[in-house]
Amino acid sequence: MEFVRRYETGAGWCPDNRGMAQQTASTAVEQSPSERPQRSPWLGFLLRRTVRLVVSLFALITFAFLIIHLVPGDPVRKALGLNASPELVSSIRAELGFDLPLWQQYLKYLGDLFSGNLGVSLASRLPVGETIGNLLPNTLLLAVIAFVVVMVIAVPLGMLMAVLTQNGRRRGVELSFTTVSIVVSAIPEFLLAVGLVYLFAVTNPWFPIAGMDGPASFVLPVAALALGPIAAMSRIVRVEALAVLGLDFIRTARAKRLPAWRIYLRHALPNALTATLTLSGLLLSGLVAGTVLVETIFAWPGLGPSLVSSILDNDYPLVQAIVLVYGGLVLLINFVVDILLGLADPRSTIKET
Amino acid sequence: MSSLEFRNLTVTFGRGEKTVVAVDAVSLVVPDRTVVGLVGESGSGKSTLARAAVGLVDARSGDILVDGQPATTGRRRRGGLQMVFQDPYSSLDPRMSIGASIAEALPSDVRRAERRGAVAELLEQVGLDPLLAPRMPSGLSGGQRQRIALARALAAEPAVLIADEITSALDVSVQGQVLNLLREVQRGLAMSVLFISHNLATVCYLSDIVAVMERGRIVEIGPTEQIVADPQHPYTRELLESAPRLGEKIDPEQLAVPD
Amino acid sequence: MSTTDIAEKMVDRAAARAGTGRGGLLRRLATSPLGMAALLVDLLLLLLVVFGPMIWGAAAEEFDVDNMNSPPTDGHLFGTDSLGRDILLRVLVATRLSIGLALGATAIGAVIGLLLGAIPAVAGPRVGRAVVAVVNVAVAFPGLLLALFFASIFGASPSGAMLALGVAFAPGFARLTQTLTAGVVGRDYVSAARVIGVGRLRIIGRHLLPNVADTLVVNISLSAGGALLAFAGLSFLGLGVQAPSYDWGRMLFDGLDGIYVNPAAALAPGLAIVLAGLALNLTGEVGAQLVGRRVGSARLPAKPATGAATSVADGPDGSPGADDLVLDLRGLTVSFPRGRGEKSVPVRGVDLRIARGEAVGILGESGSGKSLTAMSVARLVPDPARVDVQSLTFEGRDLSANTSRELRRMLGTTMSVVFQDLMSSFNPVMKVGRQLAEVATEHQGIGRRAALDRAIGRLRSVSISRAEQRALQYPHELSGGMRQRAMIAMGLMGSPTLLIADEPTTALDATVQRRVLQLIAGVRAAEQSALLLISHDVAVVAAMCDRILVMYAGRVVEDIPVDDLLAGPRHPYSRALLAAVPTIQTDRSQSLRTIEGRPPQPADYPIGCAFAERCAFASEKCQQDPVLEPIDNGSVACWHPQQGPVPGVVIDSPAVVSRQRATTATAGPVMPSHEPSRTRERGR
Repeated sequence: MEFVRRYETGAGWCPDNRGMAQQTASTAVEQSPSERPQRSPWLGFLLRRTVRLVVSLFALITFAFLIIHLVPGDPVRKALGLNASPELVSSIRAELGFDLPLWQQYLKYLGDLFSGNLGVSLASRLPVGETIGNLLPNTLLLAVIAFVVVMVIAVPLGMLMAVLTQNGRRRGVELSFTTVSIVVSAIPEFLLAVGLVYLFAVTNPWFPIAGMDGPASFVLPVAALALGPIAAMSRIVRVEALAVLGLDFIRTARAKRLPAWRIYLRHALPNALTATLTLSGLLLSGLVAGTVLVETIFAWPGLGPSLVSSILDNDYPLVQAIVLVYGGLVLLINFVVDILLGLADPRSTIKET
Repeated sequence: MSSLEFRNLTVTFGRGEKTVVAVDAVSLVVPDRTVVGLVGESGSGKSTLARAAVGLVDARSGDILVDGQPATTGRRRRGGLQMVFQDPYSSLDPRMSIGASIAEALPSDVRRAERRGAVAELLEQVGLDPLLAPRMPSGLSGGQRQRIALARALAAEPAVLIADEITSALDVSVQGQVLNLLREVQRGLAMSVLFISHNLATVCYLSDIVAVMERGRIVEIGPTEQIVADPQHPYTRELLESAPRLGEKIDPEQLAVPD
Repeated sequence: MSTTDIAEKMVDRAAARAGTGRGGLLRRLATSPLGMAALLVDLLLLLLVVFGPMIWGAAAEEFDVDNMNSPPTDGHLFGTDSLGRDILLRVLVATRLSIGLALGATAIGAVIGLLLGAIPAVAGPRVGRAVVAVVNVAVAFPGLLLALFFASIFGASPSGAMLALGVAFAPGFARLTQTLTAGVVGRDYVSAARVIGVGRLRIIGRHLLPNVADTLVVNISLSAGGALLAFAGLSFLGLGVQAPSYDWGRMLFDGLDGIYVNPAAALAPGLAIVLAGLALNLTGEVGAQLVGRRVGSARLPAKPATGAATSVADGPDGSPGADDLVLDLRGLTVSFPRGRGEKSVPVRGVDLRIARGEAVGILGESGSGKSLTAMSVARLVPDPARVDVQSLTFEGRDLSANTSRELRRMLGTTMSVVFQDLMSSFNPVMKVGRQLAEVATEHQGIGRRAALDRAIGRLRSVSISRAEQRALQYPHELSGGMRQRAMIAMGLMGSPTLLIADEPTTALDATVQRRVLQLIAGVRAAEQSALLLISHDVAVVAAMCDRILVMYAGRVVEDIPVDDLLAGPRHPYSRALLAAVPTIQTDRSQSLRTIEGRPPQPADYPIGCAFAERCAFASEKCQQDPVLEPIDNGSVACWHPQQGPVPGVVIDSPAVVSRQRATTATAGPVMPSHEPSRTRERGR
């Protein structure tokens, strides 16, 4: 699972940076609170994040614009094939605005974008905006359902594992849990999808093999998307929860003689969740990316197959638009997660100032 | 002759509205063969002053002079400034042998053949077995590590040594060893030392002159006996009164009555 | 020192250990069974990459026209594809292309990433910040998505996909490089090297790279597994390897069409992908565990533990009767399992009795067992440690039995604990007032609103200004001294009969320390509670307590009223401790009297008196365990107890001084003074 690697490179077993919970606890010590009242750190935080989102979106738009210009050779000739008539090629060139200087093309591209005009597909000659409007909801539905399934299963599972195996208890449980989760999370979603199709659609025809048609048709695609992340996420929740359980304020809670459930749920869980929340952005983005493959396998009427075919067909207007949509989604998800994180952990708003 | 002088040194962090003045127009002289103690509480700017002296932090304005000349850091030359850091566990490269760490600091004109002998001599000087040279620092105690850090600083044959909280991470029974060692080395080499600590007692014990720092400024400076016997600045008095004395009893604070 | 610091140091030490052997990583990889398996599969893959196409390359292209789309048969173990080619042979031959392309993509990613990641460390701060910002945004994108984006530029071909994937992997590597180097750059040894004048390139070569290399290498191997899977995905989508070439992803794509006819055609390449991916991942994971070995396994090599001879003596005569005792602890032993049936025993047979309202201090250095003793009393020792007591009675109740709800309630309201680390001892995401109020809602059955009011009242009583507002703030918004006050106020939510304070002022400045100590003394006076104060600072303990227990190497070596301690303790260690720390009054013309060597670690506790090897009075006899014997008003565990005032120690108390004068006549030497030049520590 890719987001696991991101987690680990950011805060995993690197000697200097062990565990997000611990990391946040220690960085906060540096903050010397000033006595004088200051303006709410929230506003500044929100502002910085919004600026970052806008700048990133702008970079993304520019990247999408540049795709067509970075392609080696003549993109129009490539898209239309060698047999296309010179007239057709030049009319398409004109349609795409290739006659203009680059900066004018860029301005035109921006203008079109903000007026909602995403251009026309070279392959189907259909307006790109319409295609995306039809397909995007199906992709989102798949990703969001998978995300909810992952969170609902992985968080309690990881927490339970942490409580069961804390302080080196139940070595057997720990070993089998980690082994299973490593193995499962190492299987990419498209392979899981193939395996699931073979088991539950071909050998035992319990679920439809393809298409989007009723609740039963969601089972296999969602399972293919969610299984790996469940394994990886629960492992991370466990590690984070264990780190939190070793922190000093848990000892304080014990010193208050609070009942165990209260220590786990009221003190450990919220702190373990902040780290989990950071990752949920990567997780959801990863699920969105995963849909590309899973939709292709299950012939799901989403954006994924269109992205693939548009790349294969060199259908650049469609590629540009879909890159924008997926990229924008990822940026938006991260923005929302950042904001949520600011709400959940009061320190994160000042941490970076 | 070896002396260190700060002239109107100012160090700031951050920009615009969030600017923090860590060191505020500080002037301070560490005269030849003298130990100047710099005492202050956390956040007073004393460590920043030290880091600015050795070039780890850029000064915003002011001068740092060694023997009257602007201090140049680095170049692996004699007669500069050297520093011993607070945390003995972080100040030695875990992947480098003790000998290599010390040898790295030797002036560049020391010949290869002489280096081994120089390292052994330095280890002897800080009271360690020269046989430790090829070892990695991982198995060593805090006290041993701090001795090695001192040997490394001495290897560069500095004009002035800056010791920044060098005993605060050590065990009680080991602190005294390191303090004694620093004193012995300072006297033996007739060196100038800027000794920085939050602990007034250690500063007074070791220093000829004590400077008291509060919120980036030096609020009082004078011979140790005078500072102890007749403090002028209210903050110095507060520090002196707060310093734990053996045999006194703490007066209980009257708790406010909860309503 | 905060616990996070300690943890960091432990990790640091572990990392240091990990890096001692040259090429040690591979060797250690081979010693773990999981690593062994991973290495074996790696070797197998390597053989297939090198020899696979040579041996089976031609056979894998042979058409078997009679057996097209055949399910598994004897001739074709995994059946054939639509042209009748043998699936198994093709899977084996495809190893080279699949792995080669994955490694190529990883290499591209690693090179770009390392360069990007090194920029902030090498270039100026402005360029550095810009690169960090770009990488931070890029790293939020899933690699596959980035790869698809770039594939649209580079086109659908193996080299295009490899390039796209490499570029997609780069931000991750860049981020890792940044994180790692930033961590190392902040270390004092890099600062020290800069102060020495070591050049920038040499710092990178000698200090930065060696300290991040292991982690980077391990991560690259982890990423190779990821690249393999991702490349298979791209080929599977038709964006990677194009017919007539074939890798595992392409075969999976072709096999999926015929899944009803011959499922093996899809499952065989799938299996290959999973196996190879798993092997590469495992190699990385095991390597990661070895590099990043954490606190738990970072202990020193085991030595046989000394037989924990419990030498429990009865306390001094004239100790208060059982009725007047708040706490009665007998025969406390704390041990940690060290694996292979061995254990270390950092607390070895401690007795502790505290009378109602009495203030008892435990004085000792780190590793003496003083904090573990206090935490055992509070029943807060974390789990791998094993706490054994002969008896533990608090307020007449047996605490050694299991906790009932009712007992918990009693403890929650009568025993208060004040911890050392101010920041980390509060829950960072819960408001201060709620953390106090919790005690009342949980144990005293008070509603949330009333409990919060009570918390505000308690905050006010410890002189926290604007208590109503403070109660609604988060811990990080309070200053250090204020947090310590809030922590004490938390202990005041009930009515404590025992206050346990574990190094309550160690991290505080002297001026704040004094005020916090005054507050603790105030709480004692107001609540008539007893105090158990743990500290390494003689002056603090002496200023606060009636009686002091000096601990060394897991045992109480002396139990003495505070005035007797100041006048001149009996145990050579207590005397040395008193002399070792300078105070304002210390004579500046004299060297400090130091104790040679360092305290022994729990794994190395010797038989007999643990202090003997550092003691000037040690004799043959000291190889036997000394027993805590009553002497004067206290008791001491020493074969050669000393007496008289400790030279060089100035006591600021007229009563003590006059007592000292009375005994000076019979005073012997404290410790023969050591010339500093002879205080050499020998490396063990």
